Amino acid sequence: MITLMHYTVLSALLFSIGIFGVITRKNAITILMSLELIFNAVNINMVAFSKFVAPSAAQGELFALFIIAVAAAESVLALAIILAIYRRRRVVNADEMRLMRN
Amino acid sequence: MAESILFYGFAAMILIAGLMVVISRNLFHAALWLALSLFGVAGIYVLLSSYFVAGIQVLIYIGAVVVLTIFVINMTREITGDMNAPRKTAVVPALLASALTAALIISAMLKTDWASRMSRAPASGADNTELIGRLLLTDFVVPFEAVSMLLLAALIGAVVIVSKDTGEKE
Repeated sequence: MITLMHYTVLSALLFSIGIFGVITRKNAITILMSLELIFNAVNINMVAFSKFVAPSAAQGELFALFIIAVAAAESVLALAIILAIYRRRRVVNADEMRLMRN
Repeated sequence: MAESILFYGFAAMILIAGLMVVISRNLFHAALWLALSLFGVAGIYVLLSSYFVAGIQVLIYIGAVVVLTIFVINMTREITGDMNAPRKTAVVPALLASALTAALIISAMLKTDWASRMSRAPASGADNTELIGRLLLTDFVVPFEAVSMLLLAALIGAVVIVSKDTGEKE
């Protein structure tokens, strides 16, 4: 029998994998992909809690849908910024983007 | 029984593919592993019988976000090689931070008394797409419209940010 525990443990593990990626990777696109993993970990939690705590209401699932929409908007803008920086400075690594630092 | 097999299969798929996203040196491979991982998440949604969210996950995440990421990866040139190697000095702190985060969340889950908060009725396998649709146009109509405005703003913003550079060159 799969319980709420299973889903939350899965979500916690996926979340920590995402955090590992955000900290270790240098490439801005990979950092963005790790962020997508973190969003998905949160969404698994949302849907699982919605199903186990209040199965007759759908608020948790609606929250997951809104998170997906906002994450899509966020990743579109982030990829546009990465592409603009790449065109101008030929740089995709986050630690080489130091225009504001002297 | 079938539920357990499916759950552990999807969980292994999500975690292994997620790990490959994070450690793979080839950006293109990382994006493909990300698609596999997101597909596993969609499977978890089906297992939780929220079919609408699973469909949206496949359409928006795999169909739009991953494809867009692959486009951008192909437009920037440093797809593979040592440029994409993980920062050596950051590996140990990152392992520590992620392990502590996971331990904190899981221990908090174990200490909470869930039995009193659970619903009495077991999670049914019924499709609640109709309920979601009704809620989106009644109780949640304001956030729904706000999200549509946000998506429009993101669309225009992305076009402006990317096209500005070429305009100055010409």
